[in-house]
Order: sequence, then structure tokens, then C-alpha cells
Amino acid sequence: MIRLVGRRLLGTLPTLLGVLVVAFLLLNVAPGDPVAAMVGERADAATIARLRAELRLDDPLPARFGHYVWGIVRGDLGRSYITARPIAQDLKERFPKTAELALAAMTLAALAGITLGVLSAVRPGGAFDRIAMLLSYLGVSFPVYWVGLLLILVFAVALRWLPPSGSGGLAYLVLPALTLGMRSIAFLGRMTRAAMLDVLSSDFIRTARAKGLGSRAVILRHGFRNALIPVITVLGLDTGNYLTGSILTETIFGWPGLGRYVLSAIEKRDLPAIQGSILFMSVVFVLVNLVTDLLYAKADPRITYD
Amino acid sequence: MRAFPELTLAALVATVACGGRGAGGRASLAYYETYDPRSLDPALSTDVPTGEMVTLVFDGLTRFDPDGNLGPGLADRWSVNRDGRRYVFHLRPGVKFHDGTPLTAADVRQSLVRVLAPATRGGRPWPLYPIAGAEDYAAGRAGDVTGIRTLGDTAVAFELTQPLAIFPKFLAMPVASVVPAPPPAELGQRPVGTGPWRFVAWQHDDYLLFARNPRYWEGPPAADTLAVRIIPEPLTRAAEFEAGRLSVVEVPFGETARWRRAHPAWLLEKPALRVVYVALNNRRGPLRDVRVRQAINAAVNVPELLASVYGGRGILARGAIPPGLAGSDTGRRGYDYDPAEAKRLLAAAGYGGGIDLQLWRAAANVELSRVAQAIQAQLEPVGVRVELVERDASSQREAARKGETDMVILDWWADYPDADNFLYPLFYSGSFGPGGNYAFYSDPVTDSLILRARRTTDDARRTDLYRRIDERVFRAAPWLYLWFPKDLWARRPDVAGWDIPVIFNGQRWTRARVASH
Repeated sequence: MIRLVGRRLLGTLPTLLGVLVVAFLLLNVAPGDPVAAMVGERADAATIARLRAELRLDDPLPARFGHYVWGIVRGDLGRSYITARPIAQDLKERFPKTAELALAAMTLAALAGITLGVLSAVRPGGAFDRIAMLLSYLGVSFPVYWVGLLLILVFAVALRWLPPSGSGGLAYLVLPALTLGMRSIAFLGRMTRAAMLDVLSSDFIRTARAKGLGSRAVILRHGFRNALIPVITVLGLDTGNYLTGSILTETIFGWPGLGRYVLSAIEKRDLPAIQGSILFMSVVFVLVNLVTDLLYAKADPRITYD
Repeated sequence: MRAFPELTLAALVATVACGGRGAGGRASLAYYETYDPRSLDPALSTDVPTGEMVTLVFDGLTRFDPDGNLGPGLADRWSVNRDGRRYVFHLRPGVKFHDGTPLTAADVRQSLVRVLAPATRGGRPWPLYPIAGAEDYAAGRAGDVTGIRTLGDTAVAFELTQPLAIFPKFLAMPVASVVPAPPPAELGQRPVGTGPWRFVAWQHDDYLLFARNPRYWEGPPAADTLAVRIIPEPLTRAAEFEAGRLSVVEVPFGETARWRRAHPAWLLEKPALRVVYVALNNRRGPLRDVRVRQAINAAVNVPELLASVYGGRGILARGAIPPGLAGSDTGRRGYDYDPAEAKRLLAAAGYGGGIDLQLWRAAANVELSRVAQAIQAQLEPVGVRVELVERDASSQREAARKGETDMVILDWWADYPDADNFLYPLFYSGSFGPGGNYAFYSDPVTDSLILRARRTTDDARRTDLYRRIDERVFRAAPWLYLWFPKDLWARRPDVAGWDIPVIFNGQRWTRARVASH
């Protein structure tokens, strides 16, 4: 197990290096000048030239890339051009907020989505199934932006049950988590239902029923456990996505997470901030994938990685 | 320490929500920014959110009030010698920084030197360039700024390279704020100033929190605390306001009509020192011909665009100087909407068959993007075929600065309330590109008039020059002239003592308070 994890982690190094190279090249050929954002709407050419020199923006690309990678090797992600703050500290502040929201959204998605899926699969075509599947269809289709604003209007402005935006206690988490998790709830519901139907029609379930097991035991112990693999896949992918920040949800709810950080870094061409964030997100994504793979083996003893 | 500010915000928001009574009996106020400020270090204040926040914590020698009038700040009086090149500012006695250290002339001098120092990497040294030796120091050609001298502890003298009547206005910009010398470590994160508000906490992308400075030289602010939330989405801001959790809010464009109907008593409206325009690249293709530029001005029905697409939130621009500034002339004869005349002008210029032009717009600016689309539709019938080019603001700015755009829709915000701020950056040939002249308009007579106005110390004569320059440029049509926006804000019914500032750093929130019930 430890060897496996070690091997997998080593295997991600080329991936991360690739991410670094591609991100660096793309950012440096893209239009937009980071110094333009620093100096604002009115500046003199001499100041711009001086800042470009100070930030080594006029050095040849390979030299700049070397300098950047050397920094990373020493554990230094550099400082933001715009705010002059260390990137590592910015990420350290934003990530817990993103993780908090991601965790809440995924918990919600797992609980609601799996429950919906299992219950729908018990009596496919029944009233519950039809309503649940219609709702999940809507849930996948509605734009996040629209849902977020609608939730704010209803629960924060009209009913005043919850705060419209910001971060703080649990009350601040409800609406953004619902908005972010809605698509996952809907998708997981459909996924679980399909996987359950597939499993419930197989031979070993018939055997289990034949040997007189109660329907609850058949569905949960035998059926659900075997339907878990696709569910874990979806959970893993969504978690990876959410942990790297969600630009729309964070923007609507003024949530101080990674998504907004990256967005504003991109808008201002804050190269060190963008590169640092991309690298960080890649690491998170790789780790989540690793955990997902390990969970497969837990859910299905037939899967081994040796 | 981290948990404390969060609790404070929650408590604050709660107090704002239920009538705004804070623990100390005085109320809490809640304001917002659309994105996280760069820093709270005045030397880095190159954008509006940073400038507004710096204005809360720091003072400059001079300052603007909400109506854009220049008044004394840390200097309670100043004098200028007869040739207009030497200014002496006398410090207000008894002013202390938030940490209790008394303010001295040395603090003033070192603050300004610091803004110019290359190592500061601030990006906005130009307001101090009129000072003798400032440019050389900023370029690393001199070891010190010769033109700033302290006169004892209580006065600072400035030697300028040439007379500049508006110099005291330059010193009211956020970048010229006074910080302690030497500045505390992490000045940008935990600022110490002399301003009306003491810094308490900053959760990035979330909120900033300030508490009243009880020893503020002008008398302490009326409210106990001021929370500044960071809320990027306009409709979310409106929701926060409607839920009673923001003291004031700019009315979202899409909500203009509804709010005018539903909450007329909450609304405040005021012309802003800002102009919306399309820069026509005077050095590019058919746009080099003044007749083509005039044709574009005649082909677009600007009053209709203003009324429909822009919600009527503006005053027609017949020049670049906004009403409210000396030199402005809104009664000037404009380019009337006249498509036939536009066609005639195009034909006279040899473009009877029409022309193809690109119009750049920034995707994030929804209102101006919509205006651009309407302009495209109106130019089509006279034979100006427009391709809309949509980019993010950064790419657009870069292309426009390099002169690669035919036409680009922009707005210009005042840095200081003076006609010079709408002429020198926008039409002086030395301001091409990054300096603000995105139209690449160049006219030797205009150049010399602009420079002459800068050197003119007599206000009446200066105003007269501005009017002449504006008129001259207007006839040359370097822009498609659109309008001067009127700001439309809503203020909670229980909030008093707050008015829309015509310039972003004109509001210090010192008189704002929540009325008791």
C-alpha cells in the first residue's frame, strides 16, 4: 500500500512538470501585460519599462522558466506582481475556504444523490422515481448562476433565513453548498440509479432473494455495495473539481476561495499567482485521483494494484 | 487571532441587519468593494478599491471632499511663491499616527520619496514627477529627491520643475498619503496611518474591518466601525443591501427602472467625474480623416443610446470635461444625429462605398458591451461596417495602448477633480497609449495649449484655456463622444451623513451614521 502510494506519487512528477511547462508557455504567449494591471489606467512609459525589468519580464523565456522552476524546487512560489504578497500564503488562505465549500457540497451531494438514486431504483418507473428523475434532469440543466441568484433572492432577501453572501458560520455555507452541489446531486442520483438497476437485475441478487434475505438487506448489502464503483468515480471527479475552486459559485456568493483568486489573477495577468495556482490545483487533483483509486480497491476486493 | 475577525464580522453584520446599533451605542456601517484591494500600502494604490481603502486609513497633505473640492488635510495651510514653482505646506499641529507616534515633516518627505523609489514597485510615481529631481530619482539617476525639503518638523517645501497650479490636487491622490517613517513591516497588510479609521482586520476576498480613530484631527467618525465586504457580483450586492446588510449600494444597471419605482426614497443620483467614449484611432486607416470621425459622430443617435441602453444614467458629452469641473461646457453645439450628413461626410472623404472597422469591447463590462453593440447597429446604415472584437479587459487595454484598435469603447475616471485630468492624459501627444491618449490624437496647437494651461496660475485664465482646448479637440472628433455618467446609489433609510463622492477618494465615511430609532 505504502509502496503503491509512493510509486503513484513519483509517477505524477512528469505530469506536474508538463503542467508547469504548458502553463508557463501559454501564459507567456497570451496577450495582456501584467505590468499594465500594476500601473493602472494611466502610466508613463519609463515606469512600465522599469517594472518590466524589475520583474525580469524582458528576459528570454528559457531563462525565466529556469528561474521559476528553481524557485519551486526551493519551495518558493514567488510573490504576486499585483499585491506583492507571497503566493504560497495566498493559497494557504484560500484553500481551506474552498475545501470547506467542496466538502459541504460533496457531503450534500453524496447524501442526497445516493439516497435519491437508491430509492428510485427500488421501484423503477414508480411515482418517486419519476419525480426524482425529473428533478435531477432539471438539476443538471439549470445554469449555476441562475440557481445561485434565485436561492439568494428566495432564502436571503424574501425569507431572510440565510445570509446572501460572505463566509463565516454554517449559515453562510448552506446556499453556496447547495448551488455548487446541485449538479452533483442530480448526476449522482442518476448514476446511482443506473448502477443499482444494473446490479439488482444480476444473478447473485436473485440468489440472495431466493435464499430468503429481506429486501432491505438485498438492496443495501448486496446491491448498493456493488453499485459503488461508478458512484465513487463520479464523487472523486467532482471532489477534484470542487477542491480546485469553483469560479461561478464563489463569485455569486462572494466566497473567498481559490476560484475567485485564480480568476482575478488571470484578469490581471498576475503570472506568478496563476502559475502557482495551476500547480497547486494539479497537485490537489492528482491526490484526489489517487485517493479515488485506493477507494476502488476498498469497495471492490477484486481490484488490486500490485 | 484568525477566528476573532470572523466573529466580529458576523456580529457586525448582525448589528447592521437589526438597525445597526453596535455594542458601544454607536452604529456600524457596511460598505463594499467589487474586488480585493491590491494592498493597503498607499504606494500601491493604482486602482479604485485600493485608493478608497487607503483613503480611510491615511491622510495626504490635501484632500477632496465628496463634491470634489480641494481642502486642507494634514497640511492646514500652504503657500506658493510668485513664480508658482515653490510650495510650502505647513503641517497641522498635534496629529498622531494610529500607534501614537506624532506626525513630522520627515514622515511626509520619506513617504513621497518611497513612492518614487524603484524598489517600491508601486507603479504610480507620476503625480510626484512635477517635483524637481523626482523623475531622476525614480529612474535611478539620482540618490535623492532634491525638490522635497523639510523645514523643521512642521513644514515641507516643494520645488517644482515648472509652475503647476494643480499641484496641491496631485498631493490629494491616495498615492501621496503620508505613512510613518520608517514604515512598519507589512504596511500593505497592517497599515498604520493618521486617517479617520484604524485598521482592524483583512480577510482577503472576504472583508476588511476598520474601527473609528478616536483621536482623528477632524473629530472621530460618527460610527464605531466600518466593515468593507468584497462582493464581486452586482446582483449579490443588491441582495445584501436589500437584506439590510450594506449601508449603501450602487444600483445595478438592470435594476434601474425597478428601483426607481420601488424605492425612490432610497436613491441618490449625482453626476460623476467620468466620461464614456469610443476612442477612434486617429492614426489608423480611414479614421485618419477628420470627416470620417465626424461622420461616425453624426451617424450614432447618442441620446437614444443613453436613454435606452444606458438607462438614462448620464449627461450627453459635448466635449471631454465633465460638468462640475471648471472649463466644462455642456451647452456646446454637438454633432446632431444626422445619418444623411454622415453619408455625405464619408463620400466627401472618398469612402462612398463604406468602410470596415473593428470596435473593441471588454467582455466584463456588460453595460459598455451593450452600448458597443448598439453603436455597431447604428453605424451599419451609413456604410460603416463594424466588427465587434470582444476581449478581456487586459488584452483590450494592451491592444489599445499599442494602437492596434480602430475603435475601442472606454470610460475614464478622474484621478483629481480638474479639467487637466480630462485633457492632458487623453489628448496630449505625450500621453499616447499607456498615458491615456488611446485615440492617438496629436495636434501641436492642442499640445501647447494644454501645457500652457498647466503653467497658468490664474484660475480664470486657466478655465478659459480648458474651454478652448475642449472645443478645439471636439471639432477634430478624436472620439465618438458619448456621455458623462450619473452615479445612482441607494442608501439605507436609517443611514445619514453619506453622499455619493464625485471622485472615488472623496468619501471618508466620517459623518456617516445610522440614525437611532
